[in-house]
Parts: sequence; C-alpha cells; structure tokens
Amino acid sequence: MNQSLSASGVSVSFEGLRALSNVTLDVPRGKVTGLIGPNGAGKTTLVNVLTGFQKPTAGEVTLDGEPIGGVPPHKVRKKGIARTFQSGRLFQDLSVLDNLEVTGVGLGLPRREAAARADTMLEWIGIGHLAERMAGGLPYTDERRVAIGRALMLDPHYLLLDEPAAGMSAEEAQDLASLIRRIIAEVKCGVLLIEHNIGLVLNICDFIHVLDSGEVIEVGPPSVIKASERVRHAYMGTQAETEGAVL
Amino acid sequence: MQHRPSIIARTWSTPVILIAILLAVALAAVAAGSGPFNQTVIEIFIRVVLVVGLYVFIGNSGVISFGHIGFTCLGAYMTAWLTMLPAIKKSKLKGLPDIILNAKLQYGWGLLAATVFAAICAYVIGKVLMRLSGIAASIASFAVLAVIIQVYSNWDSVTGAQSSVVGIPIVRTIWPYFLCAVIVVAAAYLYSISRSGLALRAARDEATAAAASGVDIPRERLIAFVISGAMMGLGGALFAHSVGVVTPDTFYLGLTFVTLSMLVVGGMNSLSGAVLGVVVLSIIIQVLRWLEKGIDAGFGVISIPNGVQEIAIGVVMIVILMFRPTGMTRNRELVWPGNKLSADAGALPSPADGKTLKT
Repeated sequence: MNQSLSASGVSVSFEGLRALSNVTLDVPRGKVTGLIGPNGAGKTTLVNVLTGFQKPTAGEVTLDGEPIGGVPPHKVRKKGIARTFQSGRLFQDLSVLDNLEVTGVGLGLPRREAAARADTMLEWIGIGHLAERMAGGLPYTDERRVAIGRALMLDPHYLLLDEPAAGMSAEEAQDLASLIRRIIAEVKCGVLLIEHNIGLVLNICDFIHVLDSGEVIEVGPPSVIKASERVRHAYMGTQAETEGAVL
Repeated sequence: MQHRPSIIARTWSTPVILIAILLAVALAAVAAGSGPFNQTVIEIFIRVVLVVGLYVFIGNSGVISFGHIGFTCLGAYMTAWLTMLPAIKKSKLKGLPDIILNAKLQYGWGLLAATVFAAICAYVIGKVLMRLSGIAASIASFAVLAVIIQVYSNWDSVTGAQSSVVGIPIVRTIWPYFLCAVIVVAAAYLYSISRSGLALRAARDEATAAAASGVDIPRERLIAFVISGAMMGLGGALFAHSVGVVTPDTFYLGLTFVTLSMLVVGGMNSLSGAVLGVVVLSIIIQVLRWLEKGIDAGFGVISIPNGVQEIAIGVVMIVILMFRPTGMTRNRELVWPGNKLSADAGALPSPADGKTLKT
C-alpha cells in the first residue's frame, strides 16, 4: 500500500478568493518533503487542509490511501498526523512538560504515562532541563523545540512543520536541520517542511513542491528546483540575480 | 533521566491547605457559639460550593459562564420538592407528579437528588452550548439562566411561580455544609489534575494547538460543565436547607454577580483563588452588613446606608481588576513551602529565575 499523506486536486476558496487551486502533493513516510513559495501562496492553508482545520472546497486528502477529508483536527492527530504552528502556539500557562503531556493525554494516555513519555521526548530533543519552566517565558528557539516535541509525542506517522526556522540564526537553523534528520532516522515519519529559508529546504528535502498564488508551479528534487526558471521567476521575482548566489 | 514524582505527590498540599482554611472557619464558628455568626459561616460554605463549582468550568476552560446560577435554582427546587411535607406540597404545588407529591425524604437524599438532577440538566444543555466558544458561549449561558428563571417564575403549579416555597426542612448545624464544601474542593482538585482538566487548560491557552494535540475540546468542556453544574445544584440545595425558603428571584442576577465577583477577586484560574475569594469577600460583606444594621460604639450607633455592601463588592472588584487582574492568588495555587516542585497549573510556583509571569 502507498504509505503517504496526500492531497489530490485540492482547492480552497474563501468567499470567492481562491487560496488553493487544484493542488496535488504527496508526503511519503521516511522522507522530508519541502513546501516553499512566496507569502500568501497558500502554504499554511494547505497544512490546514491536511490536518483537518480547513475543509477543502474540492479535492481529496488521503492518509495511506484512506480518505480523511472532513475529519476534525483532534481525530486527524489521533490518526498520526501532527503539526506545528508558525507562531509556536505553546500552552503559555502550562509547564514545558505539561505542554508535551497534553498530547499524550489527548491521545488517550493516563497522566503518569503521558508525563513519562514527555520526559523521554524532552531528553531526546535536548531540552530536558526546561521541563519545569513555564512555556510562556521561553526564548524563541526553545519555544520551537518544545512545539516540535509536543507534535512528536507518541511517534506520529507524519509531521508537518510550518516555518520552524523563522527568525532563527544560521547556526540555529543548522541545529534544526540535524534535528529533522534525526526525526527521519529515528521516528521514521514523513516530514512536510514549510520554510522561507531556501538554503535549509534545499539542504535537507528529498523532494520539493513550489506553490505560487495557490497553484503548484514546480515539483522535483532540489537539483530541479534550483535549476527551475519558473521558480526563480515566481519566487525570487526581480531579485533572482542576487539571491541566485545564495542558492 | 530523573525520576519525576506523580502529579498527586507534587500537588496534594493545595487541597489540604484549602480544607484547613475551611476547617479554621468552621472552628471559629463553633468557638463563637451559635447565633447569627453560625448562619454567616453556613453561608460561606455554601458560597464555597458555588464558587468552586464556577471555577471547575470557568477556571479550567476560560469560558465565562453567566448561566451557572440556573443550575443552583434547579438544585434548590429539587430538594424542596423531595423534602417538604406532602401536605404542604398538595396545597401549594399541585402540579408535581404523584411520586414526588407523596415523598418525604431526608435532606441528605434531597442534596444528592439535586446534585444529580443539575448534572443531568447540565449535560443536556452543555451538549449544545459547548460547541460555542468565547463571548457567544457566555451570552448563550446567560440565555440559559434567563430561560430557567422564567420557567420557574411562571410554572405556578410546580414551582409556586413568584411566591416563595416555604416549609423546606432547615438544617442549622454547620457540619453538613462544611462536609459538602470539603467534598467539592476535593472533587475540583481531582478534576484539575485529571487528564480532562489538563486538556481543558491547554485548550484555554491555545484552542487550535490543543485540537492539533488530539484534544476533543467540546467533549472536555462538557465534562467540566457537568461536574460544575452538579456542584452548583448541590449549592442550591444547601441554600434551600439553610434558609427553608426558595424563590426564583434568589437565583438570578444578584447571586450570579456575587459569586462571579468572588471568583474574579480570588483569581479565576485557580482553585485557591475560588476559595480565598469567597472567604475574603464574605468577611467584607459580613462586616458591611453589621454596619448597615448599626453598631453601638459607645458614643452612639455607627451605621451606613443600605446597599453599601453591594457597592463595596463592586469597588473591590474594580480595584482588583485594575491592579491585579489575575486575582489575589495571581492564578496560582497555594502550596506548602518547600513543595514547589511542580509547574503544573495544579500548583503554579513562581519560576525559579524570579521572573514574574504576566498573563
């Protein structure tokens, strides 16, 4: 059976405005799939569709072949699709440990077991020392790690990361890249990485989708994306020459 | 990896401290002998039941409810129906079903029936209401209160409409009230450390992220709503037995305002806040009541105009909201000194680095 999280022919309209039109995308297990595109291209809308937060106007979402369109978000998570948010969205008034524990409890574990799993996860991700801190006062990069840890609880099959490197320094982005590689190697889930940091995406993704104005304009491995004239034009606009050096 | 003590081991001191405070209040009443002070202490315990009932839903879910006093009304009438003398019921409340008309239960059964009845009603109402959030949920809950009060104010043959239902057995010892307050505090504590309590507090902070973590928000809200509805029903029944009279008006805006103020003043998101809010505001109210009646201070009677009591609660609430919007407890729980291991909302200590939390 095809082990992947897929959107096929997905369209979303908000009162006449087309946020996504006829988007097809595949997130296979054990691979990092990149999703890039300019602001407003519809990347987050697509993540919302894949996680049940947004009902598609047309098209289908399937999980390992099973249609999951219209399934509410908490059930989507129970089926093994986890996500993070652009703005972190930690539970500010709870401790870091409890932030992770919520997922364990949400997925049906008793609190004691959820706490044990949360402890293990915090150690794995390298922030065990933060367990008893309140999530509200965390620095930015730690916040991102807690969010990823919260999503990774109980080994989801798919992990959707919405701009995890936003605002990170080059060094911090490198740490993130190695964390994502560890996730692929050890958790073995499929990762969908949405990022503006093109360097990071080209560096770690096996396959990349480029979205512009709600449409997929290019699909392929990093080498193809790098070479694509359309991507250069749509994504970089007139800055293609200067940005090209970075690529 | 360090071994982490269980959640109960980390947080048990909170309910113990709160129950100790209630016990101190009860012992003060005993020491002072019977009389009006006894009644004041009974009132405090009833308010603890009601405000902790509010906390279970409002504190954990973050959804303000203006409708909870409706369940108090349901509970009060339920125990009245079951415990009054059949003869009185047959002359005043002819519309009651025969089985209730002929019943004459002990007040303990009345309390239990009131609690269960309120819980069932909360379940039915909550099933619909819990799909709403934010201000829509608050307004809808207020509508529920209005509907309940209107029904009870007009269903002459069953509730006696606007006229008082009298003849409810009066219980004058403080211990049953104390016991109920202790049970409610313990139940609220157990709920807040439960899976549902944790999930609901997560949804209070970030509903979207909670749903993405597998939390079924309407379901968790409904659980809290039913538990808190049951507590409100119990509080209503206790009220009925403390004064022996019920009217629908007793359970309307006045009581809603007083109980919500106590919760806000104490600290909406903590159980300790609910209990302390009741104790502190009740003391203020009692002192002002004495002053309204007039106190002989030797050189003459000191008295203040009627109504100052309500104004004072309003002022206290405004001052608290201005200078300490998270309430007297700053939404933390009281914990035993040296027991500050946990940062769970079941027991929020100050962060180790001395930073204050602003929420």
